Amino acid sequence: MTGLPMTVISGYLGAGKTTLINRLLAADHGLKLMILVNDFGAINIDEGLLASKDEDTIALTNGCVCCTMGADLFLALADALDRSPRPDHLIVEASGVSDPARIANAALAEPDLRYAGIVTVVDGPQYEGLGADPLIGPQVRDQVKKADLIVVTKMTGDAQVPGLAEDARVEVLDADDTRALVDLVFADPSAAPLPSSDMPHPSYIGWSCQVSTGIDLEALREGLTHRPAGLFRVKGSVADPSGAIWDVQVVGHQIEITPATDARDTTLVGIGLSERVSTDEIDHWWSRMSLPA
Amino acid sequence: MSDITVFEAKSIVTMDLTVPEATHVAVRDGRILAVGGAGCGDAWGHVTHDASLSGTVLMPGLVEGHAHMMAGAIWDYAYTGYHDRIDPEGRMWGGLSSLDAVVARLAEIEATLPPDAPLIGWGFDPIFLPGDRLSRAHLDQVSTTRPIAILFSNFHLMCVNSAALELAQYSAATNVEGVVKGADGAPTGELQEMAAMFPIMRRLGIDFRALSQRESAIRSYAHVATRAGVTTVTDLFSQLEDEDLDVMLAVTGEEDFPLRIVPALAASGDPVALADRALKLKARSTDKVRLGAVKLMTDGSIQGWTARVKWPGYVGGQPNGIWNMAPDQIRSTCAGLHAAGVQMHIHVNGDEASEIVIDALSEAMQVASWPDHGHVLQHGQMMDDAQFRRCADIGISVNLFANHLWYFGDQHVALTIGEDRANRMDAVRSALDAGLTVGIHSDAPVTPMGPLFTAWCAVNRQTMSGKVLGEAQRISVPEALYAITLGAARTLKLDDEIGSISVGKRADFAVLGANPLHVAPEALKDISILGTVLGGKVCLL
Repeated sequence: MTGLPMTVISGYLGAGKTTLINRLLAADHGLKLMILVNDFGAINIDEGLLASKDEDTIALTNGCVCCTMGADLFLALADALDRSPRPDHLIVEASGVSDPARIANAALAEPDLRYAGIVTVVDGPQYEGLGADPLIGPQVRDQVKKADLIVVTKMTGDAQVPGLAEDARVEVLDADDTRALVDLVFADPSAAPLPSSDMPHPSYIGWSCQVSTGIDLEALREGLTHRPAGLFRVKGSVADPSGAIWDVQVVGHQIEITPATDARDTTLVGIGLSERVSTDEIDHWWSRMSLPA
Repeated sequence: MSDITVFEAKSIVTMDLTVPEATHVAVRDGRILAVGGAGCGDAWGHVTHDASLSGTVLMPGLVEGHAHMMAGAIWDYAYTGYHDRIDPEGRMWGGLSSLDAVVARLAEIEATLPPDAPLIGWGFDPIFLPGDRLSRAHLDQVSTTRPIAILFSNFHLMCVNSAALELAQYSAATNVEGVVKGADGAPTGELQEMAAMFPIMRRLGIDFRALSQRESAIRSYAHVATRAGVTTVTDLFSQLEDEDLDVMLAVTGEEDFPLRIVPALAASGDPVALADRALKLKARSTDKVRLGAVKLMTDGSIQGWTARVKWPGYVGGQPNGIWNMAPDQIRSTCAGLHAAGVQMHIHVNGDEASEIVIDALSEAMQVASWPDHGHVLQHGQMMDDAQFRRCADIGISVNLFANHLWYFGDQHVALTIGEDRANRMDAVRSALDAGLTVGIHSDAPVTPMGPLFTAWCAVNRQTMSGKVLGEAQRISVPEALYAITLGAARTLKLDDEIGSISVGKRADFAVLGANPLHVAPEALKDISILGTVLGGKVCLL
């Protein structure tokens, strides 16, 4: 069984996590999302999309559900896994001071879950001040350092977020670019064909490659660590020099190479932001590193 | 007219100034009718004399102001700790002082389990066992086929055997933070923090909520309490789902159930919704279950270096701890709950956390007036005189973690905050001198429930190595007895009903083998507990 993908949405109080969640719930992605939130306080569902609502669950007509998780997040995670039918994608809203890696780590540990990244929401104009706050600064900056993708809110134009560059080592998206977020974080890069024909101007590019030769796993890990900026996700399988098959999952800076549970094609697929990277650049990178071991 | 029972005791320590000592107490309708000599109840009609407690000493039923329901059902698991400990059924489990002893105990218990059950242990603490670290190799000696998981005493770590590793699909190829690996590249069996423990907990059915809410857990908790002479206990950080509350009300509602429980709702989310939920819960209170308070978690623990501490920080240079609630959120939650009239129990270990909370409550009080709010700072381990004085100014009570002095005092001197601040940890003397309402507690199952032991800690301030930590912060025996009765009752806003043997209050007593005012202060912890009386019903062990 393939694991249920889990994304953690992190960010300090007031950064805009709930706004992002409202958009994800309503966006036209065709996925049955399950979103665990701290409370329904600011969850705002268009009446036309609302299927039912009770004290701890909101169900939408598009198949998405939003649940409150109370004070025990891991209990809620276990409940989500026991839910039938399973959703397509699980999203967990971390509390304003949580270390998102402590939550997302469960997706790496639990065989029934799959790590799909940490998205940290940053209030652009507030970031520098919060980061310098002696009480809360270290925890706020840590959320950015742990992120696989950063979503910036409340910035106008192309202005850079003061202080963000020194903490962020991953892609930064604008919160209004919900489409790119959905494409990068929730879409399955192996779903063919990419890009789909009904999206004339996709924000992402797809890349795929048959891997025929045995690859040294350390070299692969090293290569993936230094892949072109903008290539956000890579997944698939490779064979090592002995012929053993390994699964590869890359999200942001998280790289997982684990023994494959069954034989399969040795193919890698990738997805990246079209503004930041081209398939030619990815091909070039791959051709330099995928030499026979 | 209802029956009147007059209990006779060797002596009765009433904690009531008007009649401090007595020999008889008359009870009607579960409440105290009269206190004094043999004839104390005669004016009220026909009395029945009960001599079953005549060889004992009675005190007001002891009040444990900070503990967790899990302290009972955790005994479903095998105890593997370093200290001697008594289970809810009264069996003494000797402390285990080597890994060999841990393996031997587990093997003994393993032999009694049905074939498909996992073996789960608790209470293990490597800090007390020098040498080898517990690993799957030790646990594989117990069984290579039955999954085994040993929870450490802090509940943040566990160690599992090879069979359990396999269930979770942990192997040399696993690359997950918290899955500890040895020199050979294979997992050692030690798993750190919830995420790494999660796959094991799911597959072995370790469920902290069930340990706190199912019927047997509530009964177990009552056994633990009765063995400690406790008649009113808290469950501070409860999820209180509707179906769980139904079970609790049904079990506690049984006439012979010997305990009053004060659960505090775990704070999360929007303060307005939280206050609304707390007030709805309050309306479901009974004489045995008192609802309506909320528990806030602000920082972590001092011995885990996660408490938020002020300058000069941790003695080993560790980074300052973590907030479980952001200071902004502490402020908004305090403001919202205070304005709605919801009493708060607020976890603060480090002195920066206590300071932020005092600030937050002070701000909340400038907006909404509620003089007898009764908010309580829980643990308050590093609070100094200035913080106590501010608490006195605005009516905040404290419930201090006196058991820490004995269990972790030496570690605090050497490893966490250093000697100066360790000497003023859990500063009960300063808190009393500031005029505060003071309780002292065990935080069971973190340390064993036993208010007389807790009182001993506050009176003697002795660590495990025999060192006295801050002699000037010692309190007298009568002050300590007040803290485990009326003081704790006041932190729960129940001092009009319990906490002293006074006419009109509930007939809740601790039944003791000796008078705590007559034994040496060093012997307080050795006084035997014979049982309790709850609402006039005798429950002897």
